[in-house]
Order: sequence, then C-alpha cells, then structure tokens
Amino acid sequence: MARPMGSVRLKKANPLTLLLGAVLCVFILFFLISPSSSSSSSSKTRVVVDSARHHLSPPTSPYRKPKSDAAVELGPPPVTRYNLNNVTITADPIGNQEHVLILTPMARFYQEYWDNLLKLSYPHGLITLGFILPKSKEGNAATALLQQQIQKTQKQGPEKDRFKSIIILRQDFEPSLSSQDESERHKMVNQKARREDMSKARNSLLFTTLGPATSWVLWLDSDIVETPPSLIQDLAGYSKPVIVANCFQKYYDAETKSMAERPYDFNSWQDSDVAQKLGASMGPDDILLEGYAEMATYRLLMAYMATNPSEKDTVVPLDGVGGTALLVRADVHRDGAMFPPFAFYHLIETEGFAKMAKRLGWQPYGLPNYKVYHYNE
Amino acid sequence: MMPRHQASGFSNGYPREKTFDLSPHSFQPRTSIAAQRQRKRLFIRLGIVFFVVILITLWVWPKSAFASVLSLGLLGASSELELETVRYYDLTNVQGTARGWEREERILLCVPLRDAEPHLSMFFSHLRNFTYPHHLIDLAFLVSDSKDRTLEVLSDNLEQIQADADPKQPYGEVSIIEKDFGQEVNQDVESRHGFAAQASRRKLMAKARNWLLSAALRPYHSWVYWRDVDVETAPFTILEDLMRHNKDVISSKSNNSADVWRPLPDWLGGEQPYDLNSWQESETALALADTLDEDAVIVEGYAEYATWRPHLAYLRDPYGDPDMEMEIDGVGGVSILAKAKVFRTGVHFPAFSFQKHAETEGFGKMAKRMKYSVVGLPHYVIWHLYEPSVDDIKHMEEMEQERIAREKEEEEKKAKAAKLKEEFGDGADTWEQDKQELKELKDKAAEEEKRRVKEEKAKVAQLKQNTNKEKPATKDEKATTNQGKPKAKQEKSQAKQEESEVDDEKPATNKGKSKAKQEESEADVEKPRANREKPKASRQKPKPKKEKLAGAEAEDDNVVAGDSEKKRLAE
Repeated sequence: MARPMGSVRLKKANPLTLLLGAVLCVFILFFLISPSSSSSSSSKTRVVVDSARHHLSPPTSPYRKPKSDAAVELGPPPVTRYNLNNVTITADPIGNQEHVLILTPMARFYQEYWDNLLKLSYPHGLITLGFILPKSKEGNAATALLQQQIQKTQKQGPEKDRFKSIIILRQDFEPSLSSQDESERHKMVNQKARREDMSKARNSLLFTTLGPATSWVLWLDSDIVETPPSLIQDLAGYSKPVIVANCFQKYYDAETKSMAERPYDFNSWQDSDVAQKLGASMGPDDILLEGYAEMATYRLLMAYMATNPSEKDTVVPLDGVGGTALLVRADVHRDGAMFPPFAFYHLIETEGFAKMAKRLGWQPYGLPNYKVYHYNE
Repeated sequence: MMPRHQASGFSNGYPREKTFDLSPHSFQPRTSIAAQRQRKRLFIRLGIVFFVVILITLWVWPKSAFASVLSLGLLGASSELELETVRYYDLTNVQGTARGWEREERILLCVPLRDAEPHLSMFFSHLRNFTYPHHLIDLAFLVSDSKDRTLEVLSDNLEQIQADADPKQPYGEVSIIEKDFGQEVNQDVESRHGFAAQASRRKLMAKARNWLLSAALRPYHSWVYWRDVDVETAPFTILEDLMRHNKDVISSKSNNSADVWRPLPDWLGGEQPYDLNSWQESETALALADTLDEDAVIVEGYAEYATWRPHLAYLRDPYGDPDMEMEIDGVGGVSILAKAKVFRTGVHFPAFSFQKHAETEGFGKMAKRMKYSVVGLPHYVIWHLYEPSVDDIKHMEEMEQERIAREKEEEEKKAKAAKLKEEFGDGADTWEQDKQELKELKDKAAEEEKRRVKEEKAKVAQLKQNTNKEKPATKDEKATTNQGKPKAKQEKSQAKQEESEVDDEKPATNKGKSKAKQEESEADVEKPRANREKPKASRQKPKPKKEKLAGAEAEDDNVVAGDSEKKRLAE
C-alpha cells in the first residue's frame, strides 16, 4: 500500500522493451493506415477523373455515396457538360485511355464466364460491365450468383481486378420461352420469338448504359467461357467499326478420345444470291435463319472460314454478325444501329444489326481465325 | 483494523467542526526519486508536443486517412470508402403510367440545339413554368455545330435554374452534350425546308437526336419528352396532359404528338400549320414508296412527292376536344412524349431511309413496326414561333413597295388639292355656314328621338332580367367543349375570356403564370382539377394574339410583334 505501483514498474522497465513497444506501436499504426491510404492515393485520381457527385449520373461511372446524414442536404444535381467530340475511338485504346462497355444479356450464370472476365488484361478501371437478366426464377438465381461474384471482386478483391462500374438491369418483359435449355432454345419455330426477346434485351441494355464517355462496346455472351486475355485490345486494334471473333465450342470427341473444337456461332456470314432470292419471296414479317437444314441459304459462313490458327490477322467483310464476342465502336450505336426486334430486311437481332450498321454506312468485319469458346452443356 | 485518519472521525474525542483537513495526516516520503521525476516530465512534454503536432495535422489535412484511424472513423476520408460502383435497376418499375407524377416517374427532356441562342430565353421561361415536379425531370441538351453563343447562354441559364432559391425550380440531372457533326447545311428557313436539302438534313438531324438520346437515357427513366426549342406557346401542363392519355384511351403503349400551328400575319389567313410531319399513311403514299429507290426519303409538304396523306396539322378545329386522339403513322418532332420503354427496346430516329422515311417520321414508322401505338392529338395545339419563309419575305417586300407607292400617290393628291384651294380662293366658306346650320337642326331632332328609344329600352330590360337569370351566355356554350363540366368552371373560363378580350396588351402567358402560382399554393387536392383547366386557358390564349396580328396593319410589324411577345414571355 505504501509503495505505489509506479515505482515498481519503472524499476523493471528496460529501455529495450520500451523501444520494442514503440516500434510495435508504429508498426501497428502503419498497417492501420497504409492499406486505406495507398488505395485512396490511387483511387483519388480516379475519383477526380470520373466519379460523379450525384447518383443521378451516367451509370458508366461510379458515384460517391452520400453519408446517411448528408443525404438531406444534398442539393440539386450539378449542370454537367460532356464533350463527345473529345471521346476518342482509336486502334490504341489503352494508350488513349478509352472506356469500354462490356454488355452481357444473361440467363444463366457460369463461373467460368466470370473468371474469364477477370482475366481480361485491359485495364479494369476503364471497363464498365452491363448485365440484363430476365425476371424469371432462373434469372433470379443467376442474379444472386452474379451479385455474389461482383461483391467478391468489387469489395474484397484486389484493386486492379475491380471494374470501374457495374450495372445490373432486370428485364421488363416476360421471356416468351420458359426454358433456356439448348435443345429448346435452338428449335426453329422458337427462334423468332426468342431472338425478338434477345433483341429487346440487348437494346434495353445498350441504350440505358451507353452514356457519354464510352468509346467501345463489347458484346460478350454469358456462355463464352474462354477468350484470349487481350480480347479488347486485339479486336480494337483492327480499327473496324464492327468486328466479330469466331465462336467455337470445345467438346470431348468420343472417337479420337481427346478434346476437340467445333464451330458454334453461325450468325456471321457473307450474303448469297440464294438467300437474297429467298428473302424476296418471303412475307414482310418472315426471317431468314442460318444453320437449319430446312432453310438452305448457301451463305458463306465465317464459322467455316477458319483456316490456319497462325493467320490470326485475316479480316473478312461480313453481311451478318453474331453477338457472342462482338466489338462495336460506340459511334455506330450512337448513330442508331440497334438490334431490330422485328424482321429488318428479313433479318433479326445481331444479323439485323449488321444490316442496319451497313445502312448507316458502317461495314462489319469478322476474324475467322481469332477464336473464343462457348460453354458446352 | 481501525481507521486511523478519518475525516469524520474523532482525533481527540471531540468532533471537529469545519476545519480544513488533509488525509492522510501523517508524513509520507516521496514515491519517486528525482531522476524518475525528470523523466516523467520529459515524457509529459513529449506527449504534449506529439498532441499538438497531431492537432496541427488534423487542422491542415482534415480528410487524411490518418485522422480517420485516430478518431476511430469519426473524422476523415470516408467519402472515398463509399465509392459506389454497382447499380441495380429493375426496368419493370419504370414502365410509365398515366399518373406519373404520383408515382414519381422520371422524365427525360431532350432538346437538340443548333444556333439557337435567340430562342433560349423563351425556352427557359417555358421550362420554369412546367407544372410537372421539376426534380423528376432530367434535362439533356445536344449542342451541335453552333456558331453563336448557344452553349454559354444555355449553361448560364441552367446554372441559374439549378441554383434557384425556390426548391421547386431545380431540375434533376442536367447534361449538356456537345457534338459537332460538321453539317454544311444552312439552318435558315429556306435551306432548312428546301426540298433538295431535306433528305440529308433529316438524316443528320436524326443522328443528332440519336446521339443525344443514347448519351442521356438512363435505366430510371419512365418517359422521354422531345421538345423543339422554338415553341412559342404551349400549356404548362403539357407533360401531364400528354401522359394522361396513356390511361384514358390507349392501352399501355403510346406515343403522343401534339400538333403545331403558328400564328401568321393576316394576309396568310391568320395561321398556317407548321409541322407537316404528323400524318396518317395513305394508299397513294404507300404506292409511291414502292416505286422509290432504297435510299429515298419521302418528305411531307413538298409538291415533288404528292402523298395525299391526312395531316394532323390540317385537322385542327379551334373548338375541338383537345383530348381527341387520332392514330398516326408519321410523327412530328416539335413535341413528342413517349414512354422510355419505346426507346429502350430500340425504336430510334432512323438516320437512314427506313421504309422511305427518316428522322421523326421514320421514328413513327418504326414504333408502328414494333407494334407500339402512335397517337396524335389534333386539337391540342401548341404554337411554333413564326419565321417568315423566303416567299413570305418576298411577299412582304412587295406589299411594302405597294404601301410606299400608295403613300406617294396620296401625298401627290393632297398637294394637288392644296394647290386647287389656293388657286380658287375661299368660295366654299358660305357653303360651310349653311351646312352648319342645317346640321344643328338635325341634331336636335335626333336627340329627341334617342331619349324616346332609351326609355323604351329600359322597360324591356326590366322584363328581360327575370327570365335571363339562369341562362348562361351563348358564347360560353360554344367555347366549352366538354358538356358535362361543372358550371363554376364555365364561369371561370368566361371570366378569363372576357379578361383577355378587354386588355389585349397584357401578355396572356403572364396571366396564366400568376394563376398557376396561385393554384400551386392552394391545397394539393386541387391540383388535378387545376391541371385540367390550365391547358384550356392557354388554348384560348392564341385568339387575342391572332386578332392583334390581324389588326396590325403594317406587315413588317409582325416580326417585331413576335419579338416583343417573346420578350414579354421571357419576363
């Protein structure tokens, strides 16, 4: 009682221990501060460049969420000026810091798709993702899975993996086909209704997310599970207004007992006279379809143009394109080229889009030897 | 153990009273030696210095991460941590309904601009008067290839409106989009509406519209409203009025297009339909379309393509029901309200020849193709600014010359008369005197007669008063279109009409404005009723103006009159 604790402790205090303690303190403080400060230093520049102050802003950019107490005093949105003359679209998208919008109509979520997306080597800070999902049971399940992965990447993932912004839309119309199974989906009678829905979904996604800053739009189907990591740079490098990669599917060949690949997407083609004549004899609402024996069009299909994998740079002009991995200059869409949900010159969806782009003066091209791979069910 | 040193205790058997007392009372040795004390002091000093340094850093960099750690997140850089990158929208929530203002549906107002500086003040006076909740309206402007100060004036005006003290004034998202298309086509009326220039001009206009829409449309929009900047008079409730049609008549998919007239000088018959792009398809036109080249564009209102289509513009009846709808195939771009859904699913302004049409007409065609209902309101009138065409200007010049010639003639006549007078002297004086006398006599007789008539009239009026009480004025019956309207409203409109007739000088829109304000301040329950009434009032407005224009004798005055009207509107 008579001897206070202080003197006892001080007596035992060793300068070395004190030093160690001090170092430890500094160490802890450093780690407390460093992760946030390092991220803020990098994201700070990003914030200045393209984050919006208000939630009423182009969804292609993130916005700073107001704190709950500040929400009340958040004034009217500012007057924002966008100069679209300064939006460059060049063959060197990374060098010019061009913003890319990756759009995916999604009915089912494939983990491989997301993993492949994360592998893309284009700077993720310049990529905005857009998804549209139907409001069906299947769509809800896919949305849940998608959101889970997004959460993982955007909140917990490393900074360089995080995308600039992500938009999830839910469709406002009922899918006319209840089943998304491959056999059902590809039946000829179901094609028109299915592709009408697809067109509407694609258009809804496109016109609400395009925004004023996008330079390129990459259409990537949700069942594309393997692409070269440099997909965006590569396709943009050809500086074509519309360019499509060749979509193949890997499968297990029972005969050779090994993995093999086969062409999958038949929507990219060069037109033929037979198809023209066939179209001329049709009613105004009928559409020409590709890949069905009942309707022989004799079009030149890009799927079968693939020759030598080493000749990656072969570029062919096309009259119809598929939407599996399709890179489009934002100009083309801004001029009005969309995916017609009706028979447009007897074409629909992506094929109709190619026709419309041509009517607007933009020629679509294809890369027969540049392959992306479709999921195999 | 017994307590030794208690303040409350007894040290000598007596209670101590109010003496200062320190406990313990006994001497205790210092617990620390001098060196320790020194070290302690040093620590304290160091601590103080450290504290001061932190305070200074907090003061200098109040938002550093350091601060947020030290204050356990109460201070500092939390805004960056709350950067929101993921957005989720359900498009089923933005379908657009007839009573959008109740469901807080957002409207995107799109205005393409080009060398439009002189019209902006008028446009902003319209903007301030919209009765649809402003915070639900997002504005998007496309400024293209402008050589005047359109951009500066526009952004100044917008900044002003967003900073307005009245919380009801600021709009939602406001974006100004700049894009030059390198148009060589001149914007004056002759080159704008000349036949040869039409196709390429319309295609460029279509492109501009598409660029604007694709940059400004967001997943939260339920409606899109296209408005030309040079609309002179339009009801403030136009958004609600057009929106309402969704529920009343058309199912869930609709386009509404108000037709457009413009007030004109008297010699052109008072008024002339401006927007000929709203029409119903005709057999002739369809047959014509089949004969044309794939890239040809049919444009209305030119003799080169006689389409024989019924036009919205020619169907106007000043007393027609403003709610009347008419199915149309081609749409005019002056004032279009469409559900955002229409644009989302891909309908746009074709910048190519879509079924032989481009821009807004092609838009109508495409919407029809996608099975949306396209409806025009032939009796719902908004007024476009009058701009004289080259023919009109020629006509004006001729008339001006005629006037000058006439004046000259008159002057010559006068001079002649004066000369005659001079030459023949004042022989007329005696005649004048006689005339005066005769006149006086006549006047007396007339006065007598008048008095008699007056007395009779008073008698008749007394009789009439009893029968006349219930009967409203016949004029009103004609003016009100809906028979079932309450009587109070009828009287109101009558009052307004009379008012506007009495003082033509007072700008009609100002009147409407003050009225709108007044009604706004009233209870909200009143609002729908007020909304119904206002367009009616403004529809009557053009009437006095027309008369005024007709009354104006000098033809070139009309341009000036238009200008002053504009100024007044701006006020």
